[in-house]
Amino acid sequence: MSEEMPNLTRFERRDVDVALTYDDGSEFVITYDDLRHACPCAKCSPMRNEDEASKTLRRQVEAHPKEKPQVRTVGNYALGFEWSVGCSSGIYRFERIWDLANRRDPDNGRPYVHGAW
Amino acid sequence: MADSPVTQHGANSGEVPAEATPQEQKQMEQAYAQMKRKMSMAEIGRKIKHKVMVLSGKGGVGKSTVSTGLALALAQQGLKVGILDIDITGPNVPKMMGLDGRRLHVESGRIHPAQGHLGVKVISMAFLLDNEDTPVVWRGPIKLGAIQQFIGDVEWGDLDYLIIDFPPGTSDEPLTVAQSLPDIDGMVIVTTPQDVALLDSRKSITFSESLKVPVLGVVENMSGYTINGKATANSEVQIAGPAGKTLKATADGEGNFSITIDIFKEGGGKSTADEFGVPFLGALPFDPGFVRGGDDGVHRIVSEPEGPSAVAFAKVVAALQDQIVDSSGSGLEII
Repeated sequence: MSEEMPNLTRFERRDVDVALTYDDGSEFVITYDDLRHACPCAKCSPMRNEDEASKTLRRQVEAHPKEKPQVRTVGNYALGFEWSVGCSSGIYRFERIWDLANRRDPDNGRPYVHGAW
Repeated sequence: MADSPVTQHGANSGEVPAEATPQEQKQMEQAYAQMKRKMSMAEIGRKIKHKVMVLSGKGGVGKSTVSTGLALALAQQGLKVGILDIDITGPNVPKMMGLDGRRLHVESGRIHPAQGHLGVKVISMAFLLDNEDTPVVWRGPIKLGAIQQFIGDVEWGDLDYLIIDFPPGTSDEPLTVAQSLPDIDGMVIVTTPQDVALLDSRKSITFSESLKVPVLGVVENMSGYTINGKATANSEVQIAGPAGKTLKATADGEGNFSITIDIFKEGGGKSTADEFGVPFLGALPFDPGFVRGGDDGVHRIVSEPEGPSAVAFAKVVAALQDQIVDSSGSGLEII
Protein backbone atom coordinates (compact mmCIF):
# COMPACT_ATOMS: atom_id res chain seq x y z
CA MET A 1 0.00 0.00 0.00
CA SER A 2 1.83 3.08 -1.20
CA GLU A 3 -0.89 5.74 -1.12
CA GLU A 4 -2.07 7.49 2.03
CA MET A 5 -4.92 5.56 3.58
CA PRO A 6 -7.95 7.62 4.68
CA ASN A 7 -9.59 6.92 8.05
CA LEU A 8 -12.52 4.56 8.17
CA THR A 9 -15.46 6.49 9.63
CA ARG A 10 -18.47 4.25 9.04
CA PHE A 11 -18.84 0.48 8.96
CA GLU A 12 -22.37 -0.50 8.00
CA ARG A 13 -23.29 -4.18 8.26
CA ARG A 14 -25.83 -5.13 5.61
CA ASP A 15 -27.40 -8.51 4.75
CA VAL A 16 -24.59 -10.00 2.68
CA ASP A 17 -21.92 -7.32 2.72
CA VAL A 18 -20.52 -4.35 4.56
CA ALA A 19 -20.58 -0.76 3.28
CA LEU A 20 -17.52 1.30 4.23
CA THR A 21 -17.21 5.06 4.28
CA TYR A 22 -13.84 6.82 4.64
CA ASP A 23 -13.15 10.36 5.76
CA ASP A 24 -12.14 11.41 2.23
CA GLY A 25 -15.70 10.63 1.15
CA SER A 26 -14.85 7.38 -0.64
CA GLU A 27 -17.27 4.47 -0.27
CA PHE A 28 -16.70 0.74 -0.76
CA VAL A 29 -18.44 -2.59 -0.36
CA ILE A 30 -16.87 -5.84 0.84
CA THR A 31 -18.91 -9.03 0.82
CA TYR A 32 -18.86 -11.10 3.99
CA ASP A 33 -17.50 -14.00 1.92
CA ASP A 34 -14.51 -11.91 0.82
CA LEU A 35 -13.96 -10.68 4.37
CA ARG A 36 -14.01 -14.20 5.81
CA HIS A 37 -11.85 -15.64 3.05
CA ALA A 38 -9.20 -13.01 3.86
CA CYS A 39 -9.08 -13.95 7.56
CA PRO A 40 -5.52 -13.20 8.74
CA CYS A 41 -5.43 -15.79 11.53
CA ALA A 42 -2.79 -18.52 11.73
CA LYS A 43 -5.31 -21.21 10.77
CA CYS A 44 -6.87 -19.57 7.71
CA SER A 45 -3.82 -17.73 6.31
CA PRO A 46 -1.75 -20.81 5.33
CA MET A 47 -4.74 -22.14 3.40
CA ARG A 48 -4.44 -19.23 0.98
CA ASN A 49 -0.85 -20.18 0.13
CA GLU A 50 -1.95 -22.81 -2.35
CA ASP A 51 -4.66 -22.47 -4.96
CA GLU A 52 -6.50 -25.69 -4.12
CA ALA A 53 -6.51 -25.05 -0.36
CA SER A 54 -7.56 -21.48 -1.03
CA LYS A 55 -10.50 -22.70 -3.10
CA THR A 56 -11.43 -25.11 -0.29
CA LEU A 57 -11.36 -22.22 2.16
CA ARG A 58 -13.52 -20.19 -0.19
CA ARG A 59 -16.07 -23.01 -0.46
CA GLN A 60 -16.14 -23.39 3.33
CA VAL A 61 -16.69 -19.67 3.76
CA GLU A 62 -19.45 -19.54 1.15
CA ALA A 63 -21.23 -22.44 2.85
CA HIS A 64 -21.60 -20.45 6.07
CA PRO A 65 -24.92 -18.67 6.62
CA LYS A 66 -24.94 -15.05 5.49
CA GLU A 67 -25.04 -13.21 8.78
CA LYS A 68 -24.04 -9.88 10.24
CA PRO A 69 -20.98 -10.30 12.45
CA GLN A 70 -20.40 -8.68 15.82
CA VAL A 71 -17.70 -6.07 15.26
CA ARG A 72 -15.18 -4.89 17.85
CA THR A 73 -12.38 -2.40 17.59
CA VAL A 74 -8.94 -3.74 18.45
CA GLY A 75 -6.78 -0.95 19.83
CA ASN A 76 -6.87 1.81 17.23
CA TYR A 77 -5.39 -0.27 14.47
CA ALA A 78 -7.78 -3.08 13.64
CA LEU A 79 -11.22 -4.67 13.77
CA GLY A 80 -12.26 -8.11 14.93
CA PHE A 81 -15.35 -9.99 13.75
CA GLU A 82 -17.38 -12.50 15.71
CA TRP A 83 -19.38 -14.92 13.57
CA SER A 84 -21.82 -17.51 14.92
CA VAL A 85 -20.07 -20.23 12.87
CA GLY A 86 -16.63 -20.37 11.30
CA CYS A 87 -13.43 -18.66 12.25
CA SER A 88 -13.59 -15.51 14.41
CA SER A 89 -9.92 -15.37 15.36
CA GLY A 90 -8.55 -12.94 12.80
CA ILE A 91 -7.65 -9.39 13.71
CA TYR A 92 -8.03 -7.23 10.59
CA ARG A 93 -5.77 -4.22 10.42
CA PHE A 94 -7.38 -1.16 8.85
CA GLU A 95 -4.79 -1.43 6.06
CA ARG A 96 -6.06 -4.94 5.33
CA ILE A 97 -9.64 -3.75 5.17
CA TRP A 98 -8.55 -0.88 2.89
CA ASP A 99 -6.82 -3.35 0.55
CA LEU A 100 -9.92 -5.57 0.48
CA ALA A 101 -12.11 -2.55 -0.20
CA ASN A 102 -9.88 -1.69 -3.18
CA ARG A 103 -9.96 -5.29 -4.46
CA ARG A 104 -6.26 -5.82 -3.75
CA ASP A 105 -4.58 -8.86 -2.27
CA PRO A 106 -4.06 -7.82 1.36
CA ASP A 107 -1.13 -10.24 1.64
CA ASN A 108 0.60 -8.67 -1.37
CA GLY A 109 1.15 -12.11 -2.86
CA ARG A 110 3.41 -13.13 0.04
CA PRO A 111 2.85 -16.68 1.26
CA TYR A 112 2.08 -17.03 4.94
CA VAL A 113 4.90 -18.60 6.96
CA HIS A 114 4.56 -19.93 10.45
CA GLY A 115 7.69 -18.07 11.43
CA ALA A 116 6.23 -16.99 14.70
CA TRP A 117 5.45 -20.39 16.07
CA MET B 1 -44.64 -18.91 61.88
CA ALA B 2 -47.75 -18.71 59.65
CA ASP B 3 -47.44 -14.89 59.56
CA SER B 4 -43.78 -14.98 58.69
CA PRO B 5 -42.95 -13.81 55.14
CA VAL B 6 -40.07 -16.26 55.12
CA THR B 7 -40.77 -19.84 54.14
CA GLN B 8 -38.50 -22.17 55.99
CA HIS B 9 -37.39 -25.49 54.62
CA GLY B 10 -39.38 -28.28 56.23
CA ALA B 11 -41.45 -25.85 58.33
CA ASN B 12 -44.77 -27.35 57.28
CA SER B 13 -43.71 -30.94 57.34
CA GLY B 14 -42.23 -30.68 60.79
CA GLU B 15 -38.83 -31.80 59.44
CA VAL B 16 -35.79 -30.42 61.18
CA PRO B 17 -33.27 -29.17 58.60
CA ALA B 18 -30.13 -31.21 58.75
CA GLU B 19 -27.05 -29.38 59.99
CA ALA B 20 -24.38 -28.89 57.37
CA THR B 21 -21.37 -31.09 57.83
CA PRO B 22 -18.05 -29.32 58.43
CA GLN B 23 -17.05 -30.18 54.86
CA GLU B 24 -20.29 -28.71 53.46
CA GLN B 25 -19.80 -25.60 55.61
CA LYS B 26 -16.28 -25.21 54.27
CA GLN B 27 -17.54 -25.58 50.70
CA MET B 28 -20.24 -22.96 51.31
CA GLU B 29 -17.69 -20.58 52.82
CA GLN B 30 -15.39 -21.08 49.85
CA ALA B 31 -18.25 -20.50 47.41
CA TYR B 32 -19.23 -17.33 49.31
CA ALA B 33 -15.65 -16.05 49.31
CA GLN B 34 -15.38 -16.78 45.57
CA MET B 35 -18.63 -14.95 44.87
CA LYS B 36 -17.48 -11.95 46.95
CA ARG B 37 -14.17 -11.94 45.08
CA LYS B 38 -15.93 -11.98 41.69
CA MET B 39 -18.11 -9.03 42.73
CA SER B 40 -15.01 -7.26 43.97
CA MET B 41 -13.23 -7.87 40.64
CA ALA B 42 -16.15 -6.34 38.77
CA GLU B 43 -16.02 -3.33 41.12
CA ILE B 44 -12.26 -3.01 40.62
CA GLY B 45 -12.84 -3.11 36.88
CA ARG B 46 -14.99 0.01 37.23
CA LYS B 47 -12.70 1.88 39.63
CA ILE B 48 -9.55 1.40 37.56
CA LYS B 49 -9.90 3.33 34.30
CA HIS B 50 -7.16 1.60 32.28
CA LYS B 51 -5.53 -1.79 32.72
CA VAL B 52 -2.40 -2.59 30.76
CA MET B 53 -0.67 -5.98 30.70
CA VAL B 54 3.10 -6.03 30.16
CA LEU B 55 4.41 -9.27 28.65
CA SER B 56 7.36 -10.71 26.84
CA GLY B 57 7.92 -14.07 25.26
CA LYS B 58 11.45 -14.29 26.63
CA GLY B 59 12.95 -13.64 30.06
CA GLY B 60 15.60 -11.03 30.71
CA VAL B 61 14.37 -8.41 28.27
CA GLY B 62 13.65 -5.89 31.03
CA LYS B 63 9.93 -6.39 31.46
CA SER B 64 9.84 -5.28 35.09
CA THR B 65 12.04 -2.31 34.24
CA VAL B 66 9.60 -1.33 31.51
CA SER B 67 6.56 -1.93 33.79
CA THR B 68 7.96 0.24 36.56
CA GLY B 69 9.13 2.82 34.01
CA LEU B 70 5.68 3.04 32.41
CA ALA B 71 4.05 3.35 35.83
CA LEU B 72 6.44 6.10 36.96
CA ALA B 73 6.22 7.98 33.65
CA LEU B 74 2.43 7.95 33.94
CA ALA B 75 2.64 9.02 37.59
CA GLN B 76 4.91 11.89 36.51
CA GLN B 77 1.93 13.20 34.55
CA GLY B 78 -0.01 13.37 37.82
CA LEU B 79 -2.02 10.23 37.17
CA LYS B 80 -2.94 7.70 39.87
CA VAL B 81 -1.10 4.51 39.04
CA GLY B 82 -0.71 1.00 40.47
CA ILE B 83 1.54 -1.94 39.58
CA LEU B 84 0.44 -5.51 40.05
CA ASP B 85 3.49 -7.77 40.04
CA ILE B 86 2.08 -11.10 38.90
CA ASP B 87 5.51 -12.74 38.72
CA ILE B 88 4.78 -15.02 41.66
CA THR B 89 8.01 -16.98 41.53
CA GLY B 90 10.40 -14.12 40.77
CA PRO B 91 8.89 -10.88 42.03
CA ASN B 92 11.27 -7.94 41.78
CA VAL B 93 9.09 -4.87 41.29
CA PRO B 94 9.22 -3.89 45.01
CA LYS B 95 13.03 -3.72 44.93
CA MET B 96 12.94 -1.45 41.88
CA MET B 97 10.33 0.75 43.52
CA GLY B 98 12.28 1.21 46.74
CA LEU B 99 9.92 -1.00 48.72
CA ASP B 100 12.31 -3.79 49.60
CA GLY B 101 11.46 -5.46 52.90
CA ARG B 102 8.07 -3.76 53.21
CA ARG B 103 5.00 -5.68 54.41
CA LEU B 104 1.42 -5.28 53.24
CA HIS B 105 -1.26 -3.82 55.47
CA VAL B 106 -4.39 -5.96 55.78
CA GLU B 107 -7.58 -4.54 57.25
CA SER B 108 -11.03 -6.18 57.38
CA GLY B 109 -9.89 -8.87 54.99
CA ARG B 110 -8.74 -6.32 52.37
CA ILE B 111 -5.11 -5.97 51.31
CA HIS B 112 -3.78 -2.42 51.09
CA PRO B 113 -1.00 -1.90 48.54
CA ALA B 114 2.36 -0.41 49.48
CA GLN B 115 3.16 3.00 47.98
CA GLY B 116 6.44 3.50 46.15
CA HIS B 117 8.02 6.41 44.29
CA LEU B 118 5.62 9.12 43.06
CA GLY B 119 2.78 7.46 45.00
CA VAL B 120 2.62 4.41 42.73
CA LYS B 121 0.74 1.61 44.52
CA VAL B 122 2.42 -1.79 44.40
CA ILE B 123 1.22 -5.32 45.07
CA SER B 124 3.70 -8.15 44.79
CA MET B 125 4.32 -11.63 46.08
CA ALA B 126 7.62 -10.31 47.41
CA PHE B 127 5.73 -8.57 50.22
CA LEU B 128 4.51 -11.91 51.51
CA LEU B 129 7.86 -13.70 51.60
CA ASP B 130 9.69 -13.99 54.92
CA ASN B 131 12.98 -13.40 53.21
CA GLU B 132 13.92 -12.75 49.61
CA ASP B 133 15.81 -16.04 49.29
CA THR B 134 12.65 -18.08 49.89
CA PRO B 135 11.51 -19.71 46.65
CA VAL B 136 7.82 -19.90 45.85
CA VAL B 137 7.15 -23.41 44.59
CA TRP B 138 3.50 -23.51 43.62
CA ARG B 139 1.57 -25.53 41.12
CA GLY B 140 -0.81 -23.85 38.67
CA PRO B 141 -4.07 -23.94 40.69
CA ILE B 142 -2.42 -22.38 43.76
CA LYS B 143 -0.88 -19.66 41.62
CA LEU B 144 -4.27 -19.07 40.04
CA GLY B 145 -5.85 -18.60 43.50
CA ALA B 146 -3.11 -16.19 44.55
CA ILE B 147 -3.53 -14.12 41.38
CA GLN B 148 -7.29 -13.92 41.86
CA GLN B 149 -6.69 -12.84 45.45
CA PHE B 150 -4.23 -10.18 44.28
CA ILE B 151 -6.89 -8.82 41.97
CA GLY B 152 -10.06 -9.28 43.98
CA ASP B 153 -8.94 -8.73 47.57
CA VAL B 154 -6.77 -5.63 47.07
CA GLU B 155 -8.04 -2.18 47.97
CA TRP B 156 -6.63 -0.32 44.96
CA GLY B 157 -8.98 2.66 45.28
CA ASP B 158 -9.54 4.82 42.19
CA LEU B 159 -6.71 4.46 39.69
CA ASP B 160 -6.12 5.93 36.26
CA TYR B 161 -3.79 3.09 35.25
CA LEU B 162 -2.99 -0.37 36.56
CA ILE B 163 0.16 -1.83 35.03
CA ILE B 164 0.32 -5.62 35.33
CA ASP B 165 3.79 -7.15 35.17
CA PHE B 166 3.89 -10.82 34.17
CA PRO B 167 6.53 -13.54 34.23
CA PRO B 168 7.99 -14.28 30.79
CA GLY B 169 6.19 -16.58 28.40
CA THR B 170 2.65 -17.37 27.46
CA SER B 171 1.59 -19.52 30.41
CA ASP B 172 -1.46 -19.43 32.66
CA GLU B 173 -0.81 -16.14 34.51
CA PRO B 174 -1.92 -13.83 31.67
CA LEU B 175 -4.77 -16.18 30.90
CA THR B 176 -6.00 -16.00 34.51
CA VAL B 177 -5.77 -12.21 34.59
CA ALA B 178 -7.46 -11.81 31.21
CA GLN B 179 -10.33 -13.99 32.41
CA SER B 180 -10.60 -12.41 35.87
CA LEU B 181 -10.16 -8.70 35.29
CA PRO B 182 -12.81 -7.03 33.12
CA ASP B 183 -12.13 -4.44 30.39
CA ILE B 184 -8.38 -4.80 29.96
CA ASP B 185 -7.22 -2.14 27.52
CA GLY B 186 -4.52 -4.30 26.03
CA MET B 187 -1.00 -5.57 26.29
CA VAL B 188 2.42 -4.11 25.77
CA ILE B 189 5.00 -6.54 24.41
CA VAL B 190 8.57 -5.92 25.55
CA THR B 191 11.41 -7.19 23.41
CA THR B 192 15.09 -6.72 22.75
CA PRO B 193 16.34 -6.50 19.19
CA GLN B 194 17.97 -9.92 18.81
CA ASP B 195 16.29 -12.67 16.80
CA VAL B 196 15.56 -15.05 19.71
CA ALA B 197 13.72 -12.37 21.67
CA LEU B 198 11.83 -11.27 18.57
CA LEU B 199 10.75 -14.80 17.81
CA ASP B 200 9.28 -15.10 21.31
CA SER B 201 7.67 -11.66 21.04
CA ARG B 202 5.84 -12.83 17.96
CA LYS B 203 4.44 -15.66 20.11
CA SER B 204 3.18 -13.08 22.58
CA ILE B 205 1.47 -11.14 19.79
CA THR B 206 -0.22 -14.30 18.56
CA PHE B 207 -1.08 -15.15 22.18
CA SER B 208 -2.94 -11.84 22.47
CA GLU B 209 -5.26 -13.00 19.72
CA SER B 210 -6.08 -16.14 21.71
CA LEU B 211 -6.86 -14.03 24.78
CA LYS B 212 -8.82 -11.53 22.69
CA VAL B 213 -6.81 -8.76 24.31
CA PRO B 214 -5.50 -6.22 21.80
CA VAL B 215 -1.80 -5.45 21.49
CA LEU B 216 -1.29 -1.81 22.38
CA GLY B 217 2.20 -1.98 20.99
CA VAL B 218 5.73 -3.30 21.03
CA VAL B 219 8.51 -1.67 23.09
CA GLU B 220 12.11 -2.40 22.17
CA ASN B 221 14.29 -2.36 25.27
CA MET B 222 18.13 -2.27 25.41
CA SER B 223 18.00 -0.67 22.01
CA GLY B 224 21.33 1.11 21.84
CA TYR B 225 24.09 2.21 24.20
CA THR B 226 25.24 5.78 23.82
CA ILE B 227 28.81 6.71 24.66
CA ASN B 228 29.50 10.37 25.33
CA GLY B 229 33.06 11.64 25.29
CA LYS B 230 35.50 14.44 24.68
CA ALA B 231 37.92 14.77 21.77
CA THR B 232 39.66 17.53 19.87
CA ALA B 233 37.08 20.06 18.68
CA ASN B 234 35.62 19.28 15.23
CA SER B 235 37.71 16.11 14.91
CA GLU B 236 36.43 12.77 13.70
CA VAL B 237 36.20 10.02 16.33
CA GLN B 238 36.20 6.33 15.46
CA ILE B 239 35.47 3.39 17.72
CA ALA B 240 35.32 -0.34 17.06
CA GLY B 241 31.70 -1.49 17.29
CA PRO B 242 30.12 -4.97 17.36
CA ALA B 243 30.46 -7.28 14.35
CA GLY B 244 33.63 -5.56 13.18
CA LYS B 245 31.85 -2.30 12.39
CA THR B 246 33.63 1.00 12.77
CA LEU B 247 31.44 3.68 14.27
CA LYS B 248 32.23 7.30 13.53
CA ALA B 249 31.21 10.64 15.01
CA THR B 250 32.39 14.18 14.71
CA ALA B 251 33.12 16.15 17.86
CA ASP B 252 31.42 19.53 18.11
CA GLY B 253 33.12 22.86 18.56
CA GLU B 254 33.63 22.15 22.26
CA GLY B 255 34.95 18.67 21.61
CA ASN B 256 31.85 16.76 22.78
CA PHE B 257 30.80 13.69 20.83
CA SER B 258 28.35 10.84 21.26
CA ILE B 259 28.11 7.50 19.49
CA THR B 260 25.29 4.97 19.85
CA ILE B 261 26.28 1.31 19.69
CA ASP B 262 23.52 -1.12 18.78
CA ILE B 263 24.67 -3.95 21.02
CA PHE B 264 21.87 -6.34 19.99
CA LYS B 265 21.32 -5.29 16.35
CA GLU B 266 18.86 -2.50 15.64
CA GLY B 267 15.25 -1.93 14.65
CA GLY B 268 14.04 -5.48 15.39
CA GLY B 269 11.15 -4.36 17.60
CA LYS B 270 9.85 -2.06 14.91
CA SER B 271 10.10 -4.68 12.18
CA THR B 272 8.24 -7.21 14.37
CA ALA B 273 5.52 -4.65 15.04
CA ASP B 274 5.31 -3.87 11.31
CA GLU B 275 5.23 -7.56 10.41
CA PHE B 276 2.25 -8.17 12.69
CA GLY B 277 0.56 -4.86 12.00
CA VAL B 278 0.64 -3.72 15.61
CA PRO B 279 1.87 -0.32 16.80
CA PHE B 280 5.51 0.28 17.68
CA LEU B 281 5.57 2.34 20.86
CA GLY B 282 9.26 3.18 20.85
CA ALA B 283 12.77 2.12 21.77
CA LEU B 284 14.42 2.46 25.16
CA PRO B 285 18.16 2.92 25.38
CA PHE B 286 20.55 0.48 27.00
CA ASP B 287 21.16 2.29 30.27
CA PRO B 288 23.40 0.80 32.98
CA GLY B 289 21.76 3.30 35.34
CA PHE B 290 18.70 1.05 35.36
CA VAL B 291 20.75 -1.76 36.87
CA ARG B 292 22.23 0.49 39.55
CA GLY B 293 18.86 2.15 40.18
CA GLY B 294 17.11 -1.22 40.40
CA ASP B 295 19.63 -2.49 42.90
CA ASP B 296 19.52 0.70 44.97
CA GLY B 297 15.74 0.97 44.85
CA VAL B 298 15.82 4.36 43.13
CA HIS B 299 14.40 4.04 39.65
CA ARG B 300 16.24 5.85 36.84
CA ILE B 301 13.16 7.95 36.11
CA VAL B 302 13.16 9.14 39.72
CA SER B 303 16.92 9.73 40.01
CA GLU B 304 17.23 11.44 36.63
CA PRO B 305 13.78 12.69 35.60
CA GLU B 306 15.13 14.73 32.67
CA GLY B 307 17.66 12.10 31.51
CA PRO B 308 17.61 10.26 28.16
CA SER B 309 15.91 7.20 29.64
CA ALA B 310 13.14 9.25 31.24
CA VAL B 311 12.66 11.11 27.93
CA ALA B 312 12.47 7.78 26.05
CA PHE B 313 9.91 6.47 28.55
CA ALA B 314 7.84 9.64 28.20
CA LYS B 315 7.70 9.06 24.42
CA VAL B 316 6.66 5.44 24.88
CA VAL B 317 3.97 6.46 27.35
CA ALA B 318 2.67 9.13 24.97
CA ALA B 319 2.41 6.53 22.21
CA LEU B 320 0.69 4.14 24.63
CA GLN B 321 -1.83 6.78 25.68
CA ASP B 322 -2.55 7.54 22.02
CA GLN B 323 -3.48 3.91 21.52
CA ILE B 324 -5.71 3.80 24.58
CA VAL B 325 -7.48 7.09 23.94
CA ASP B 326 -7.96 6.32 20.27
CA SER B 327 -9.30 2.85 20.94
CA SER B 328 -12.04 4.21 23.18
CA GLY B 329 -12.97 7.08 20.90
CA SER B 330 -11.74 6.32 17.40
CA GLY B 331 -14.81 7.95 15.90
CA LEU B 332 -15.64 4.84 13.89
CA GLU B 333 -19.38 4.36 13.58
CA ILE B 334 -20.35 0.69 13.48
CA ILE B 335 -23.92 0.04 12.41
